Amino acid sequence: MIRIEAEPWDAMVAHARETYPNECCGAMLGSTDGDQKTVRIALRLRNAFEGAQAARYELRPEDLLAADKAARERSMDLIGIYHSHPDCDAYFSKTDLQNSCPWYSFVVLSIQKGEFHHANSWLPNADQTDAAKEELSY
Amino acid sequence: MAKILIPTPLRQFTGKQDAVTVGGATVGEVLSGLTAQYPDLKKQIFNDEGKLRSFINVYVNDEDIRYLSKDATATAETDTISLVPSIAGGSVSAPPEEATLTKDEILRYSRHLILPEVGMEGQQKLKAAKVLLVGAGGLGAPLGLYLAAAGVGRIGIVDFDVVDFTNLQRQVIHATPDVGKKKLDSAAAKMQAINPALRVDKFEVALSSENALDILKDYDLVVDGTDNFPTRYLVNDACVLLGKPNVYGSIFRFEGQATVFAYEGGPCYRCLYPEPPPPGLVPSCAEGGVLGILPGTIGLIQATETVKLILGIGTTLVGRLLLYDALGMKFRELKLRKNPECPVCGDHPTVTRLIDYHQFCGVPQPSQQVPVQETKVNEGEIDVLELKQKLDRGDKFTLIDVREPHEYKICNIPGAKLIPLGEFPQHLGEFSPEDDIVIHCKSGMRSAKACAFLRQNGLTHVRNVVGGILAWSDKVDPSVPKY
Repeated sequence: MIRIEAEPWDAMVAHARETYPNECCGAMLGSTDGDQKTVRIALRLRNAFEGAQAARYELRPEDLLAADKAARERSMDLIGIYHSHPDCDAYFSKTDLQNSCPWYSFVVLSIQKGEFHHANSWLPNADQTDAAKEELSY
Repeated sequence: MAKILIPTPLRQFTGKQDAVTVGGATVGEVLSGLTAQYPDLKKQIFNDEGKLRSFINVYVNDEDIRYLSKDATATAETDTISLVPSIAGGSVSAPPEEATLTKDEILRYSRHLILPEVGMEGQQKLKAAKVLLVGAGGLGAPLGLYLAAAGVGRIGIVDFDVVDFTNLQRQVIHATPDVGKKKLDSAAAKMQAINPALRVDKFEVALSSENALDILKDYDLVVDGTDNFPTRYLVNDACVLLGKPNVYGSIFRFEGQATVFAYEGGPCYRCLYPEPPPPGLVPSCAEGGVLGILPGTIGLIQATETVKLILGIGTTLVGRLLLYDALGMKFRELKLRKNPECPVCGDHPTVTRLIDYHQFCGVPQPSQQVPVQETKVNEGEIDVLELKQKLDRGDKFTLIDVREPHEYKICNIPGAKLIPLGEFPQHLGEFSPEDDIVIHCKSGMRSAKACAFLRQNGLTHVRNVVGGILAWSDKVDPSVPKY
């Protein structure tokens, strides 16, 4: 179960809308208590995918390292990664799965015609063959 | 020896420590030492072959070891090792599990599901399918209704028109209360009423060389329901360039055609018609008329081919042009072959990007066409208001209507003599150079040809009625029906 507080949630939606029609990506920082995760900060990260970004994103490991550092400095955890699917549903695509990591929650925001439509959170497995839907509240 | 930072989810394996210091001269030794100390961590970081999992990058301070000496990278006591996953993704390629059917859907599609050729797998393919309809008119109407009902998951529609009374005779997706509404909204409402799970993408634009590739790229296949040559060539070329099948249909009066172009090495529209017909030679439905039921028949042949392509069953119309004659109630088919010289899909294509299709077809851009009401009166033309004054004054002149007799029965201007354009040459002897002649038709196109013919034959006092009887209805006598 992942809960995103209002401030980071608004920031994520704003980021996804600003980046439309391209995909945006970022990190979610907060706290974990067992299976209960709470996102307190959304950190925008650069989409480093070389090529059309309407349907692709890529995070630079350096940026992820910086996000992890930012979390540690605030005594928080790096909980997950968010990205947007412009004009597409918030499913966990094959591309998402093949480039995922089982350590984090992957929140996908569906942006349709420039406006937020719906979101899902996914927990990929270690073999990158499947992702389970995680309960998401915001 | 080095300090290893432990990512949050792995801390459950390190006694909740967020950093662990482990001995070792190289990165490889440090990581082995780490997993020796915390055995549960091993399968998180290494795969069954003992190799680092593919998504993990190892950083020493801020350097990726791939660019240092990999596992052999030396570590010092002051170094910090981080495990950083590579993360990327994107909306492309939806996973098949997203298309699983709900209990309600299984009930809804039960008549499909008990067909072994469709079954669960086929119905899921339909649900995952993305189809683009170009045009929400005569052909688009049955296509939209039946594809929505059949369970196609996502349908895009390109149309910028509004519903008109003259559409209702055949465009059954629109109803009388929809007149004046956008065809997109009217069509989407009907389709979603049939199937609320359907996603409709509305494109309120004229498909153009600038936007076509962008609009088409997200769809698995394209269904051409257009009524004009520039758009037909545009849809064809864009489908060939993007490698998407083009389910083609066209209608005229009592006859229709259908086939599948640009699919798996099959021919394209340009293989059949390398060049468009001269402008004006092939009348549109508005000019030539169309049996209202005809687009239903042809549109449903297109819908059938669309569903077969999605399911991958049966024999499609690839390489066959199906011809339908409603009056004779006959189907025929012609073999179509891919033309190796085809400029777009041939062996040495010369059309490698979208061109100016209005120029290619020799017709003006729609934006350059001036609406009838604002048409200027040029030399050799007469406005309907001036014609009315002329009639009221009792001027001596000849008013000729060059439409067909069945059109004359719908409406006419009192005093006009009917000479259909086709019979015009036989009547040349009835005119003399002194005559003041005014000619009209429905909108001014045919009468312009008649005027030109008379001028070529030495008659000078000849004028064409701008906007024809439609303008007469608008400006002079609203009781005259428009058709």
